[in-house]
Parts: sequence; C-alpha cells; structure tokens
Amino acid sequence: MLAQYIINGLLIGSLYACLAVGFSLVWGVLNIINMLHGAFVVLGAYIVIFGVQSFGGSPILWTGAACVVLFAIGYVIQLGLINKVVAAPIFITFTLTFGMDLLAQNLMINVFTATPRSLTIGYGSLQIAGLSLSVARLIAMGFALLLTGLLYWLLKHSSIGRAIVAVRMDRHAATLLGLDVPRIYAVTFGIGALMAAAGGGAMAMAFPITPVLDGTFLGKAFVICVLGGLGSVPGALIGGLVLGLLESFGAVTLGSQWSATVGFVIMLAILVFRPAGIAGRSGFE
Amino acid sequence: MIKTAKRNCFAAGAAVVSALAFVTPGHAADPIKLGAPVALTGSLADEGGKLLHGYEMCVDAVNAKGGVKVGGEMRKIDLVKYDYQSDTNKASQMIQRMATVDKVDFVMAPYNSGATKVTAVTAERYDLPMMSTAAATPSVFDQHFKNLYGILFPNEAISDAEAAYYKKAVPGLKTVAIIAMNSLFPKAIGAQLKKSAEKEGLQTVYDGLYSPDTLDFSNVLTEIKAKNPDWIYATGFIQELVLMRKQMASLGLNPKIVTMNAAAAYREYQRNLGPLADHVTSSAWWHGSVNYQDEYIFGDTKKYDEVFQAKYKQEPSYLEAAATAGCEVLAESVEEAKTTEHAAVRKVLSSKTFNTFYGPVKFGPDGQNKVASPVILQIQNGNFTVLAPDSVKTGNVETPLQK
Repeated sequence: MLAQYIINGLLIGSLYACLAVGFSLVWGVLNIINMLHGAFVVLGAYIVIFGVQSFGGSPILWTGAACVVLFAIGYVIQLGLINKVVAAPIFITFTLTFGMDLLAQNLMINVFTATPRSLTIGYGSLQIAGLSLSVARLIAMGFALLLTGLLYWLLKHSSIGRAIVAVRMDRHAATLLGLDVPRIYAVTFGIGALMAAAGGGAMAMAFPITPVLDGTFLGKAFVICVLGGLGSVPGALIGGLVLGLLESFGAVTLGSQWSATVGFVIMLAILVFRPAGIAGRSGFE
Repeated sequence: MIKTAKRNCFAAGAAVVSALAFVTPGHAADPIKLGAPVALTGSLADEGGKLLHGYEMCVDAVNAKGGVKVGGEMRKIDLVKYDYQSDTNKASQMIQRMATVDKVDFVMAPYNSGATKVTAVTAERYDLPMMSTAAATPSVFDQHFKNLYGILFPNEAISDAEAAYYKKAVPGLKTVAIIAMNSLFPKAIGAQLKKSAEKEGLQTVYDGLYSPDTLDFSNVLTEIKAKNPDWIYATGFIQELVLMRKQMASLGLNPKIVTMNAAAAYREYQRNLGPLADHVTSSAWWHGSVNYQDEYIFGDTKKYDEVFQAKYKQEPSYLEAAATAGCEVLAESVEEAKTTEHAAVRKVLSSKTFNTFYGPVKFGPDGQNKVASPVILQIQNGNFTVLAPDSVKTGNVETPLQK
C-alpha cells in the first residue's frame, strides 16, 4: 500500500509541477506575482474540453492549440498593459493581475457557466505489480515532464532563453547590451501563459473544470514556488513532486481534510528556514 | 395675473390626471416585492442559477394568472434579485438592503445550509419572513427564528430511507464507508447516515472528511479499497464527486453500491462522467416522476415538469422544484391571509398544510417542513430509475457498480 501512496503522490505532484512552472518563471524573471495564472490554466483547460467535445481530436492536440492561444494572450497583456507598470512596486502588478483575474473568472462564468465540465474519454488504468496507475494521469505526468524539460532546454540553449536569463540576472545590464527588455518581458509572460495552458490541458484530462478553480490552482502554484525556489525550472518540478507527496501522506496520516493544510504549513517553514526554496538560488527569494 | 392663470391651469391639469388615475380600469395594484439574493457568479453560480430558474417558474406562473389575490385586488409578484457572488456576508448585506431600501415584503434564502443559517439572523433582525429552499440540515432551524421557513425536509429522513432500502434490496450488504465534504450539509448528512446505517445493523468501516476543492482522492480511495466496503457513501458537491468517481474507476474500486449525495441527482453529473455515472445512486427531496396535485399553480407535478422543460430545455432537479414551491407557498399564504402583513402571513405559514406539485408542505414549530417523502434514484443506462418509494418506483437497484 505504501508503494501505491507514493505513486499517487508522484502522479498528482507532476500535475502540480506543470501548473507551477510558468508561474515560477514569471515571478522569478519579471518579479510579477501573476494572480492571473490560475485563470490561464482554467482557460487552457476549457479550450481543450470544448475543442475535443465540439471538433473531436486528441486532447494533446488541443492542448497544443491552447498553448498557442494563451501565448498570444499573455504576450499582448504584458506588452499592452503590465509593461506600463512593471517598474512600479510589486504591489501594483499584484493588484493589476488580481483585478484581471476577477474579470477573467466572471467572464468565464458567463461564457462557460459555472457547471463543471470534463472530458469523458476513459483511458482506464494499468495494473503493474499490484499497483493501479491511471493512464490519464500517466499521460499528464509525461506531458508535465516533457514540457518542463523543453522549457529547461529553451532557457539554457536558445538565444531567447539566454536573453530571458540575462534579463533575470540584471535588467539594466541587459538593456545596455542592446536587449529589447519590454519584448523579452512579453515573451516571458507569454511563455508563462503557454505553460499554464499546458497545465490546463493536463488538468482537463484528469479533472472536472469550473471557472472558479483558478484560486485553487494559483494556491498550489504559490506553495510549489516557495518549496522549489523562484525562477528555477527544476525547482518547480521538485516543488510539485514534493507537494504531491506531502499532500498524499498528509491525507493518509491526518485525514483528507488536512492534506492541503500540510502543504501550506511546510511553505511557512520553508519561508522561515530556507527562503530561497529547495532548488532556488539566493537572491531570488 | 398671468402667473396666477398658469398656476390655476396646472392645478386643473393635475386634478384631471389624478381623477383619471382613479377611474382608469387598467390601474395596477402595487406588486408584492419578493427579495432574492442569488449566487450568479463565484463558486455557487451553478446552484444559484438553478434557484433563480425555480423562482422565475413561480413568479411567471402566478403573474400569468393575474397575480396574487390580496383582498379585492390582484397583485403581481416583483422579484427583486441581487447577485451575492457566492459570498455569504454579501448575501447578508443584500438582505439588509432589501429590508431597508427596496422594502421587500418577503425574502428567499441563499443557497445551502451554512448561508441560510447566517442570513436568517439578518432577516430575523428586520422581521422579514424568509423562505429557505436549499437547506435541509436541522441545525439551521435550531435558532427557532419566527421568520425562517424551510421547504426541504430534514436530513435524517433521507439517510434513514437510504439505509433501510439498501439493507433490504441488496443481498449481503454488511459494511459501509462514508466520506463527506467538510461543510455543514454534507458533514451533517454523513454523520446522520452513520447512525442510520448502524440502526440497520451495518458496520461503518471508514468515516472521513475531505476539504472543498480537493484535487486528489487517490489515497483516501486506496485506504477505502483496502477495507473492501459493500457500500461507499460520498456526500458533497458535484465538482469533487465527479473527480472521486473518476478516481474510483482508475483505482479499480467496485463495491455493490456507490451513493453520491446529492450530486448524482443532477444531470450535470452524468454529463461529466458519461458511462462512469451508471449505477451510481443518490437520494433527492423530489423528482419529476412523483405525482402530486397542485390547485394553486401548474395543476400537478407532470405539468410543472413539462413547463420547466419547455422553458429551460432541461429537467428540473429537486433544487429548482423546491425554489418554485417556496415562492408558491408564500404567495398562497398571502392570498389566504388577505394581506402582506407579516404576522398574518406567518400565522398561515405556521398552520396550513400546502398541497403543491412538490408534495405536501407543513412547517413544524422550528419552521422546517416536516412532511418527508425521500426519493432514491439510480442512474441506469444514462437515465434515472426511481428505486423508492414504492408508489413511484420505476425499477430495481442494479449491482455492483461496474459489471
């Protein structure tokens, strides 16, 4: 049974990681606590659900479409709106994105209604050595690992990735070196939204979605960023897996009603004893 | 001189207009204002929308027959509604506004037991009769407010009926696992089911709570699976129960009976699960297949069901029906009291038995409807089969959860 508990924790943890990677990137590079991130995840999930239900095709294909749409939305929002106040104290961008989140949530309630929606594709489960593995969650896990790997590669080896890292390290020096910082900001925010859409696609395969789930998703992303460390792609992955395992064992030992609380308590402890997180570098806490 | 002539002219004109107002046959009596805080946005928007549909069914039906007969005049019902954004505190503020600014005559309670218990305090403070149509937990009514009335009968009638039915209808039923959301109604009905099951000689092998917005039930279900219960009884709201059913399938749980109260009584539950919804059971305070006569509006349950489906292109659940019945009971009470004066209306509400399409309504001393007629449903091949009571039964229970 212990092995089953660990597997359950890792499966949900990889989904959490997928949710948090984009949020961590935007916070770490842009110094923006993007309160809109949960709404991006929900919107991504809805694009996948409505795409599959209305036009057919694979959820993975529709997740690709959701990524493109959300990248465009994120890029435009950062370029047209957040860039205007990005140099202001963090509280201003926090309030701005919080306001946009409220707007987005209620717009989605109007468009999609508050009734939960889910994909009814039955992927079934695999039985390996007495363990049950949900195929939908395995796909989502593979997806999460693939995307975080891609993002890691992009930041390390592509020119835009190196530009993002340069801006994160020193915005003023990056400007002096001729980098178009507002555009780098917009691309980074777009990638954050794209990752949220990918997380939404993975969520749509496993969960019923409602517009009001944005707060739940955002809460998880917060905890994971603090656990794993800001701005670090492997940190978000580690943070997600750790949170999944913590909640999993919290549910077994303390009862399911306390499982979310365990994550927040550990988050407080990390903030006090290791503010940079498990894999974060100091200076970004 | 000219000024005086003008003034006289205005005075004469005003007198003519006033006189006409009295003699015009189409002069409408003041409407009866019915306040309704409704959750149209936020986490309860789905349930809020259902309640609004229920109120509209009643208001439209009463107004279509000319309104409520109060003394010698026919008064239409004017629904004064505000979105409380699923925030109970806002609902309380809105009731205060309805009492002081809009001057409503009566008010409908917001969705669920917790919100009803909180807002009933405000209604009592302003001496405003409040009709609750979505609260079944008896502790909501234990404050003994004179203005609070509730259409849904108490939880224990539901859990007693369920335990007795399954014990009799499912051979070899011995153990039950109960998992309830940590919220007033699901927690109360979960606790009540434990008592009802024990009365029937069933052993509770798991009894746990989960928090709202839980994203993972796999470990709880792994624990339940190890105890191999004959019956899994889950209570909560639709979002979590859909997820729980999906995870039951991926973990290979296959007990004789799975009850998901009361989410499985909604069509949305089936739409989210497709074939996985099959064989899940639920109970409900009402179902469209029951048949009650109603002399005030609609005629009977069948007609209500037809009108609702024509209007909203979907079946009504117990939630919409209770909302309509709550508004109807208020209108009927005003008609019998021949006034909207609160004390007189309360007197009728407390003494009369109302025969509605929803079933008989008779409020007890605490204000909650005491006429219990629980309906037990099972989803079979995508349709609801009524398992109990015998008078409206449409089929027998099918086990196990998955063939």
